[in-house]
Amino acid sequence: MDFALTEDQETIRKAVRELAAKFDDQYWMEKDAAHEFPTEFYKAFADGGWLGITTPEEYGGHGFGITEASLLLEEVAASGAGMNGASSMHLSIFGMHPVIVHGSQEMKRENLPRIVSGDLHVCFGVTEPGAGLDTTRITTFARRDGSDYVVNGRKVWISKAVESEKVLLLTRTAKFEDSPKKTDGLTLFFTDLDRDHVDIRPIRKMGRNAVTSNELFIDDLRIPAEHRVGEEGKGFTYILDGLNPERMLVAAEALGIGRAALRLAVRYGNEREVFGRPIGMNQGLQFPLADSLARLDGAELVLRKATWLYDHGKPCAREANTAKYLCADAGFQAADRALQTHGGMGYSEEYHVSRYFREARLTRIAPLSQEMVLNFLGEHVLGLPRSY
Amino acid sequence: MQWKLSEEQEAYQKTFRGWLADVAPSDRVRRWLDAGDASAFESRFIADGWAGVGLTEKLGGQGGGLVELALTAEELARAAAPSASWLATVLAVTALAGHPKLVEAALAGETVSLLVPAEAVPDRAPSLSVDAEGMVTGTAARVLAGDIATRFVVPVGAGGVRELRLVEAAAPGVSRTARRLLDRSRSVADVTLHQVPSVRLDVDAVDVLWQASAMAAVLVAADSLGATERVLDLAVEYSKQRHQFGFPIGSFQAVKHAAAAILVSVEAARSVVYFAAASVDGGAPQALLHAAAVKAQVTADGVRGADSALTIHGAIGYTWEHDLHLFFKRAKLDERLFGAPVVWNERIAEGLALI
Repeated sequence: MDFALTEDQETIRKAVRELAAKFDDQYWMEKDAAHEFPTEFYKAFADGGWLGITTPEEYGGHGFGITEASLLLEEVAASGAGMNGASSMHLSIFGMHPVIVHGSQEMKRENLPRIVSGDLHVCFGVTEPGAGLDTTRITTFARRDGSDYVVNGRKVWISKAVESEKVLLLTRTAKFEDSPKKTDGLTLFFTDLDRDHVDIRPIRKMGRNAVTSNELFIDDLRIPAEHRVGEEGKGFTYILDGLNPERMLVAAEALGIGRAALRLAVRYGNEREVFGRPIGMNQGLQFPLADSLARLDGAELVLRKATWLYDHGKPCAREANTAKYLCADAGFQAADRALQTHGGMGYSEEYHVSRYFREARLTRIAPLSQEMVLNFLGEHVLGLPRSY
Repeated sequence: MQWKLSEEQEAYQKTFRGWLADVAPSDRVRRWLDAGDASAFESRFIADGWAGVGLTEKLGGQGGGLVELALTAEELARAAAPSASWLATVLAVTALAGHPKLVEAALAGETVSLLVPAEAVPDRAPSLSVDAEGMVTGTAARVLAGDIATRFVVPVGAGGVRELRLVEAAAPGVSRTARRLLDRSRSVADVTLHQVPSVRLDVDAVDVLWQASAMAAVLVAADSLGATERVLDLAVEYSKQRHQFGFPIGSFQAVKHAAAAILVSVEAARSVVYFAAASVDGGAPQALLHAAAVKAQVTADGVRGADSALTIHGAIGYTWEHDLHLFFKRAKLDERLFGAPVVWNERIAEGLALI
């Protein structure tokens, strides 16, 4: 057993840490308050070549695994960039996985280098108001029309759609009731978000406001067949491949926010004096922070194991789900305790922990709720009957 | 709204607490518990006139109601005193209404017990069967005071057709096996009846079992409250006396806050236990809901408090010599006795508009 990072991984971590540090908490506070995409930050990472960390080398990327990608996003979040920073590039880092595995040569040649350079922003269009996590129940329909498809439907919680040129769009090409298996009849496209046919409306929300979350109203969107990813009717299986990596990456982001929160809490605990001594001297404050450190460290180990398994081509669903569950809880708890440590100041925007708190909360909901993780573990790992 | 005990109730509490300090100091309690024989305490309890407190004069008691009974339960727990006989009798005795001689006997030490498992809520416990000649057959495991009861009140019948019948423990066909509990201040036994003659009790069985359930919830919660008060007292006392790193451990926030958290649960428990007692006594429409909330919340908090107190004590709290374990075990049994929190929470859920 070897717990050490490789030399490459150490280098990545250090370099990302240094680059992310150029964008301080003030920067993120302002972007969040203004609901403004962190263009400068995104550009810095694109210029550094980081967006292509997992993209194969033949398309201009570095061909690293999910371990390196998770280290990258963890460090981004831990710099104080939080979910704003991570979400600005999250999909460029790994969202194109179905295209890389199942897309046509033309599709890859045309798009992947642009994603690596940062020129092409993309979003992920899966979830719908009527389906939630019951993905096979989506109803956005792609009707074949000559060499095109014509798509109508609605999507919700589509991160970064406002900023994106293209969307990885999951549709039905056969209705649920007409499909022999419920996972049949789903088709994936990678296509332009044509504003004449897609109305994009940002959702007002409690945090991560530098990157939008949107509702999409799709009205007769015409998609050429060349924009289809893989075969018709197989979209669900293509999406499935990316679920575990997504859980691991969000876990890494949650972990990063937890580290950022803990860092500020420790600093404040040492600096702030009440009753003639630093408040960190109170066990009532010190113990919860120490407890959070232990929980973050424990969660980190599961995450490292999960990404290691994935990168070695081994089954990792149990570990990926557990990592997301533990990292999200540990990260949010650390943010909550950091806020508590700051007292009234924690509630002000000026001390940044309230921003971490709002963003960390997101990781207990996305990309799937903690409860759905328990459903997975209960049913597929423990072998209990499906509970829902 | 006035939320305090009456002068009489306060006087009763004070007198009874004083009596327990005198009659049941912990060294004596330990001797009774170690010997598995509480009869010395029970006869003294009856001789000194406590058995009828909280039971109406109409029934044959000395007056008062569930608030007084809850005070008794709380004080008995504070002393870790044996209470199976008392608790079983107060829960079962209403079934004997109309039989003054039997009530009198019950309050004079001939323990009467509901023939239901001690972990069940009485009104949902399985009933036994009775034939046309009134002969009762069946088994109830872990009956409170089942080892010492003189008579049993037995729920019989299937479905909604239920009645209560009285059985003499000494009758032929009755066999009982005492079971040892971790908490030795209460006792249970498995009781099996085979063709045992019985007398029908002329009461509304459903109503009596409902009343017994609500009372059991409140009284066991009051017991848990008493035990929690004592673990808190012990923990605070020890935290002042024990020094580490040159300070009493009670000066460390982690210890102080843990003790404060127990105090919060004690105060919360006292407020709700006596409210629920009054609610059940007054026949309030939501009385069972109040009783359920109290049983679920207070007894669960009691276990947490006891566990936290053990942590404050460190290893000394784990020893037999220290009294802490008496109350720790008491709180543990209270959590399960007449329905675990999950069962009572289910009752609450039934009362809500959930699917």
